[in-house]
Amino acid sequence: MLAALAGAPPAEAAAALWDGMVGTPYAIGSAVNTAAVLLLVAAGFLLAHRAGLVNVGGEGQICVGAVAATAVGTALPPSVPPALALPLVLLAAAAGGAGWAAIAAWLAVRRGVSEVITTLLLNFVGAAVLVLAVHEEALLRQPVTSSETLPQSAPLVEAAHLPLLGIPGSPATVAPVLALAAAGVVALVLHRTGTGIRLAAVGLSRPAAHRLGLGVDRLRFSALTGAGAAAGVAGGVLVASAPHVLDDGISSGYGFSGLVVGLLARGSCAAAVAVATALGFLVSGGINLQLAAGVPASLTQVAESLLILGIAGTAIWAVRAARPRRAHRPDPTSPRAEATP
Amino acid sequence: MPPPQPTATPALELRGVTRRFGTHTALDDVDLTVAAGEVHCVLGENGAGKSTLCHLVFGTLPPTRGELLLDGAPYSPASPAEALRLGVGMVHQHFSLVPTLTVQENLLLGRGRRLRPDRAGLAERLGEIEQDLGLRVDPAAVTGSLSVGARQQVEIVRALLDRPRLLLLDEPTGVLGPADVERLLATCRRVAATGTAVVLITHKLAEVMRVGDRATVLRGGRVVGGGRIARTTDDVGTLRDDVGTGALSAADLVPLMIGRDVRMLDPVLAASVDVGATAAAPRPGVPVPGERPPAVLDVRGLVVEDADGARLVDGVDLAVGHGEVVGIAGVEGNGQSELVAALSGARGPSAGQVLLDGDDITRATPGRRTALGLGVVPEDRHHEAVVPALSVTTNLLLGRLGAYRRFGLLDRRALRADARDLAARFDVRAADLDAPLSSLSGGNQQKAVLARELSLDPLRCVVAAQPTRGLDLGAVDDVVTRLRDAATSGVAVLVVSSELSELLATCDRVHVAYRGRLSGPVPTDAPDARDQVAHLMTGAAA
Amino acid sequence: MIDTLTDLLAAGVALAVPVLVAASGELVGERSGVLTMSVEGMMLTGAFASVVGATTTGSALVGVACGAAAGLLAGLLQALLSVVLRADQIVTGIAANALALAGTTFGARLLLERGTVVPGFDRVAVPWLSDLPVLGPALFQQTGLAYVLLAVVVGLGFLTSRRTTWGIALSAVGEDAASADRAGVPVRRVRFLAVLVVGVLSGLAGTQLALAEVHTFTDNMTAGAGYLAVVAVIAGSWRPVGVAVAALVFGLAQALQFTLPALGVDVPFALLVMLPYVLALLAVAGLVTHSRPPSGLTTPFVRLGRTA
Repeated sequence: MLAALAGAPPAEAAAALWDGMVGTPYAIGSAVNTAAVLLLVAAGFLLAHRAGLVNVGGEGQICVGAVAATAVGTALPPSVPPALALPLVLLAAAAGGAGWAAIAAWLAVRRGVSEVITTLLLNFVGAAVLVLAVHEEALLRQPVTSSETLPQSAPLVEAAHLPLLGIPGSPATVAPVLALAAAGVVALVLHRTGTGIRLAAVGLSRPAAHRLGLGVDRLRFSALTGAGAAAGVAGGVLVASAPHVLDDGISSGYGFSGLVVGLLARGSCAAAVAVATALGFLVSGGINLQLAAGVPASLTQVAESLLILGIAGTAIWAVRAARPRRAHRPDPTSPRAEATP
Repeated sequence: MPPPQPTATPALELRGVTRRFGTHTALDDVDLTVAAGEVHCVLGENGAGKSTLCHLVFGTLPPTRGELLLDGAPYSPASPAEALRLGVGMVHQHFSLVPTLTVQENLLLGRGRRLRPDRAGLAERLGEIEQDLGLRVDPAAVTGSLSVGARQQVEIVRALLDRPRLLLLDEPTGVLGPADVERLLATCRRVAATGTAVVLITHKLAEVMRVGDRATVLRGGRVVGGGRIARTTDDVGTLRDDVGTGALSAADLVPLMIGRDVRMLDPVLAASVDVGATAAAPRPGVPVPGERPPAVLDVRGLVVEDADGARLVDGVDLAVGHGEVVGIAGVEGNGQSELVAALSGARGPSAGQVLLDGDDITRATPGRRTALGLGVVPEDRHHEAVVPALSVTTNLLLGRLGAYRRFGLLDRRALRADARDLAARFDVRAADLDAPLSSLSGGNQQKAVLARELSLDPLRCVVAAQPTRGLDLGAVDDVVTRLRDAATSGVAVLVVSSELSELLATCDRVHVAYRGRLSGPVPTDAPDARDQVAHLMTGAAA
Repeated sequence: MIDTLTDLLAAGVALAVPVLVAASGELVGERSGVLTMSVEGMMLTGAFASVVGATTTGSALVGVACGAAAGLLAGLLQALLSVVLRADQIVTGIAANALALAGTTFGARLLLERGTVVPGFDRVAVPWLSDLPVLGPALFQQTGLAYVLLAVVVGLGFLTSRRTTWGIALSAVGEDAASADRAGVPVRRVRFLAVLVVGVLSGLAGTQLALAEVHTFTDNMTAGAGYLAVVAVIAGSWRPVGVAVAALVFGLAQALQFTLPALGVDVPFALLVMLPYVLALLAVAGLVTHSRPPSGLTTPFVRLGRTA
């Protein structure tokens, strides 16, 4: 593997990777938690993608979702019961992410601006919003008592912490359950409801969908804001997990990894669960690799991006193989004509 | 001019050429010989393999088997660039000019390797072409702003710039009005007179009889006949057979082309190849002329503008009554597409009113229009009428999914059952209704669109834009019959088409679109209806 | 006040140069119909390679050559994906950016040592002109590399204008690839070359950033400048002058991050960081409806025969 390049003995590196993935209950637990975050982002991605929208803005939506969740989670009085606090925090996170995506959705629907460009730019703005929030005392920064006070928020009230699953030695929270539920709902909507078929029609041909009386603008707007809500919840999950504070590194690339999961899943929620799990283990293994063997964690990202490039680059063969074998003339309709601003 | 000597080396020769797409054989063992200086017509209906032939000769597709010879030398162009270099020029059916470039830039495109374009050389050559052939273009004009006829002129001039040995024209008259067709045919003759071999690809018999020296007829990808064409002596279109010389007459060619005798043809079918009767066949239940039924579709002063405020539809008034079939003829690009877009709700008009049975639908959403009983068969089937990648079932019922909800989920069993019924009623032949619609033939796809639009409840009016485009004769017959049956049952039918003969055979009266306005109507039972309409298509006021 | 303005402009122009260089490459790519989202990654790769080249050989010029070559390689990869393999241009572009970010971060651990002196380019004052008030330092006190790159940008602008056969072919390929093909233009070759141009210029833009402005390599040092270049093309309505103006505005907005705190103006740093992106958002939101991208943008070209 690439680890050898970094000067670490391959055997030792492999051992560290394996350890970080499944070596301890702790490792498994944190891998599953990571997978949950990725799955949430990916489920949203799949929803928007069905409507022909590519949500590249997971990162920004996570940031804003996390900020919104923290704002609610630190403002709640400590006496609020968990049954109320947790939903409130996650709802705020969803609203934050959805609101952030709604900017891009509105621009796409009303002004015809490519959502790829806008969600991408909103990532930068969202990350800056997060930095702003944790650096300004007027916003979410914990009270500055000394020069050592870290730029991070005060901890969320205890009632808003995500409960652990209760496996001894494992940090696994209910987040995986939440993410599975979200993926299930998305799968149900996409495959078993009229809305799912309508979204597909809008994604494949806007003119035809419009002609057939579908609310094209409404469907596209809802799909992208829905994706934002899912990513926002992912942000909420991140702050509601230990150490229950918001800092400016809270989403180190989860938005991008979630996008990877969504792309690799190719429209299938079941595949998304599998890919998210695999990637979750890989990511937490990568972190251990860095800690134990001194191999930079960016290797995981190298692997991720090479994976996408490989899959996207070979897509034409996949399409060719999937083509029905019956008498079929070349279809003059081109695959991607409307993706640009 | 005298027929060329058969002993001379042919300009183009195809020997046993076959082209397959998957399991579909578009061209099957085709032999073809074209001599220099002749106009050789390749005749066939839609799907006969004519366009594939063009692609092979112009290098956009390689043959699966067989060989091509150009002036006796083996010829296997890997790209259009190579075909051009070897002296093959082509006039494409839907043009190959970049709309945002000027005419001059389009003519310079792909020519010369030097950085500085050779504008002086181009001007000189344009002068020669104008002198020799009377073809004139305006180099400074932006190509996209030209009329269809003018754009085709540019396309022809470009094909002639390098003095090609062979000029291919793919269905060049389909987009032209009668006057432009005349001019084009004359140009073909003049180009042939300079010694260039001209291949005219068409499905219109009348054109073949006018300019062709020889013809080859394709049917289902095979050559089914051909030979020298009987010369016509006058320009009115009546044919004089060169009796006893073995030359082909129109009556010989029709059965070759469609596999049926001309006398057995439905008038609509005959019209689609431009021969035979053109009067509308009497339909039961057609209102007596002069006694207009109350309008179902009532369009008043409709204006559609483009982004720059230019009027694409310029004050159109139109009324279609119960049981009427009204046609809109005209060269494409005269506002018909925009008119249909405004009627279907795809595009908002800037002024005017559209009433459907008294309901104002000028700004109604497409969904509301459908609910009020307006069926639309859009012009661009793949883009607007269907979602090719979705299943046949979905395409048939996409607009009514709300009716299939059970416990919040979709009742797929009911959906399938209804789709099966619809497909059976409208003779949509699909092996599997869950397969993507794109797996169906063009004719069956169009039948699916008709099934969806004609099964609306209520159905008051149907607007069909170019409903028979690209279909083979069997499917044309089916589509036209369905539309006429709808009218017989009391629905108001509006047909927009550039196939004049088809309109004359289908409609009760025909309007003509010209530069965003409608003239007419011309009743199709008038004895000189065709001439009247053709006259209006040149822009003459009614 | 005048000093502030002078400083701001000088810093703004300096930061606008990389964006401008990358954007003028991207403009060529987009006019040919290929959306290259990987400008960011190409810039980062170029910056990394130039620093590695300059430190190992001790020559800034070798650094420039390495930066350009790395950009060319990145362009080759993207051209292979976008033009030959007809892969999704947006997806591969973003993935290539991630690859470049992770790869250079990883590479920097291996190949670069902290605190090494990086040979670079210093500012050259043009006599007299640089003494002009306000504009002088901004326009006539840049690095030699910046002047050369600006000349390259202008030259490229001329070569790809509609006065030349190349420019006509470029526009035709981007607007209507099928027609260009039928007119004998080698569509794929034109697009392939255009993406290589994007690569080289982006690599050079990164080089300029690393060797002439920052004088070292830091992780993710482009920090979105490549995306700003892509947006500058949209905001500039696919016209060279418009693109240049947009790049300049984004550069100025970035410069505020450094000049305002230096001047003691108390604005939260995060607000200044977000400013160029907010401006970019406003630009695409406000301008896109009034301009039109090349019709063939992101549509891969396949020569297929439509059958009768």
